[in-house]
Amino acid sequence: MVLTWTVMGKTTQPDPLPDRTMRHSRRKVLRVGALLTLGSAVPSLTGCDPFNQEPTPPDPLAPMVDEALALAATYRDAATTHPTLAGRLAPIAEAHAAHAAELARITKVALPSATPTTSTPADADADATLTGLREREQTAGDSAARACLAAPAGRAALLASIAAARASHLEALQ
Amino acid sequence: MNTPTPGASSAHAAALTAEYAAIWAYGPIGVRLTGPAQEAARDAEATHRRRRDDLVLHLTDAGASLPADQAGYALPFPVTDEASALRLAVAVEERTAGFWQAAVAATSGAERERALAALVDCAVRATRWRRTAGITPLTTSFPGRTA
Repeated sequence: MVLTWTVMGKTTQPDPLPDRTMRHSRRKVLRVGALLTLGSAVPSLTGCDPFNQEPTPPDPLAPMVDEALALAATYRDAATTHPTLAGRLAPIAEAHAAHAAELARITKVALPSATPTTSTPADADADATLTGLREREQTAGDSAARACLAAPAGRAALLASIAAARASHLEALQ
Repeated sequence: MNTPTPGASSAHAAALTAEYAAIWAYGPIGVRLTGPAQEAARDAEATHRRRRDDLVLHLTDAGASLPADQAGYALPFPVTDEASALRLAVAVEERTAGFWQAAVAATSGAERERALAALVDCAVRATRWRRTAGITPLTTSFPGRTA
């Protein structure tokens, strides 16, 4: 039997992010937020505030959203400073921005609409810029790999893909 | 070693079929390439063979059934020259990456680490093949994810 390329690929690819429920839970979070705002304006009669519960611990992946946004901004700055590198750097900036969007989606963190100011200014020397980007990519790749190995199954595929993308960026910067 | 789960075994079996197909595809790829590109094809083929052998051992140890290798695999396009050989090499690595990404989600611990390493290796090789082929951009945003 000869298996065709496409059939084999399609049948074994599960949806990496089957999380339709997140939209509902985000709505719920918004609703709870609105109630909290109301609650704070009305003094409690009983002294027992049903909303005064332990805050939920922050999502361990939330810092990765900021990390990916900062990387995207750093690549954009580097591409502006070194137009000759823009062809290589712009797609990598887009990839980091796409990673930030996906990470924000699964962690339910709101993406800032403005460009973050956390980017590292690009070095005037192109080689030094590339060296700096390689170091950032290496660190970010390691952090994605660690996060992947520690993550529940539902998140591991995305984190693995991000780790692989960062490794391929490192290769593209050689 | 982790106790293999049925999900892990079927993801590994699927990855094995991808490695069989990759090894087969590097045959027609290699004959169209010369010099460093042919060396890179040999190296890639050796890596896929090593992963195939690891998977066969792993599945056998787990008592899972082994999918059979095929005598031939349908290629997504004909390989007639260097350019098409390089494009196929990119396609092989991209496709194999997808199976390893699925294996990442189906495994944990050392098994997941191995699946992640395979996904990373496929993504990096795909980038190298794109550079050799002059294909831009050199990278994709989500290696392993099918479009």
